[in-house]
Amino acid sequence: MANRAQIPTSNSALIAMIADEDTVVGFLLAGVGNVDLRRKTNYLIVDSKTTVKQIEDAFKEFTTREDIAVVLISQYVANMIRFLVDSYNKPVPAILEIPSKDHPYDPAHDSILSRVKYLFSTESVASGRR
Amino acid sequence: MEVVDHKTHNLENGQAAEEEEEEEVDENANVLQFMDSMDAYLTLIHSLSSNLRQGWLELASARHSMGAYRVNTVLLDHTSHSAATSLLVDEGKEPHFTLCKWGSSGNEKLFLGEEQSSRDKSHPQIRHRGATQLSEEKTTSENKASCEIDDPVQKERSKSLSVFGTLVSPKLRDAQLSFETALETLVEIANRRSEMICAFDKVNKKSGGSKD
Repeated sequence: MANRAQIPTSNSALIAMIADEDTVVGFLLAGVGNVDLRRKTNYLIVDSKTTVKQIEDAFKEFTTREDIAVVLISQYVANMIRFLVDSYNKPVPAILEIPSKDHPYDPAHDSILSRVKYLFSTESVASGRR
Repeated sequence: MEVVDHKTHNLENGQAAEEEEEEEVDENANVLQFMDSMDAYLTLIHSLSSNLRQGWLELASARHSMGAYRVNTVLLDHTSHSAATSLLVDEGKEPHFTLCKWGSSGNEKLFLGEEQSSRDKSHPQIRHRGATQLSEEKTTSENKASCEIDDPVQKERSKSLSVFGTLVSPKLRDAQLSFETALETLVEIANRRSEMICAFDKVNKKSGGSKD
């Protein structure tokens, strides 16, 4: 298939994570962790000392890497770089916003649901009736 | 002449009406698909939340029993290594993700094998005196087969746990299983997301509107 150019020939791809310590540790226990020869990891642990710039850089890096198919990001972290997450519209890697221990999932903030809620707005209903 | 024109006009109108009806049926199908995908997406997110909550609780229990210094990101392996769990991506109109747990390609068989072995471990069968040799041999061979399948997976699991020491709390193992379950749910969520986006694009095209 011609569209497979983005993923390496081995056809396997990684899951990247931008989340708090416990979430990252949990998923690393599940075998998701990868460290390449340049010691670059497929995860960023976000704590009180992590800056917004670091999160932005990690997000940009993970969404442009060819070997990453899914990026897990805690929703509260996604809220810090909301403009970046909302402007991302490629199908792969898929950006999945997940809850964290202290911040439950809020569908109102989910990037993908925000994009599609337009279908339920009064404007779209009115324009469909014309 | 007028009658012929009238008939032709009626025929054209009929064809147009049929096409419109077909389009409406397609549009309804797209909308239904979109609603189904969104419903599944939200249900899976809810399921993910409970998997993660369980995992965090088990991790906290493990940290409590092993000590905070033993369940710590400082201990993470920063030497070069590949992920044992990865994804297979089928990039088409609608990307589809498949989880490969612990480097396995036949996930289902292995998963069933793992489930059985983990169930056996949690509920050990009582050995009855006087059980026939035949049934014991059969059980042994079945166990051997499932062990052979489980071995590489168990090795990978143990390797992942060994980052936190040779002897780890059972709660850490439980946390590992909870996060594995959460991973499976996440892959399902990714697939529903793809479906939802695809259906949304179709509905948008038909209605001729664009949010962007």
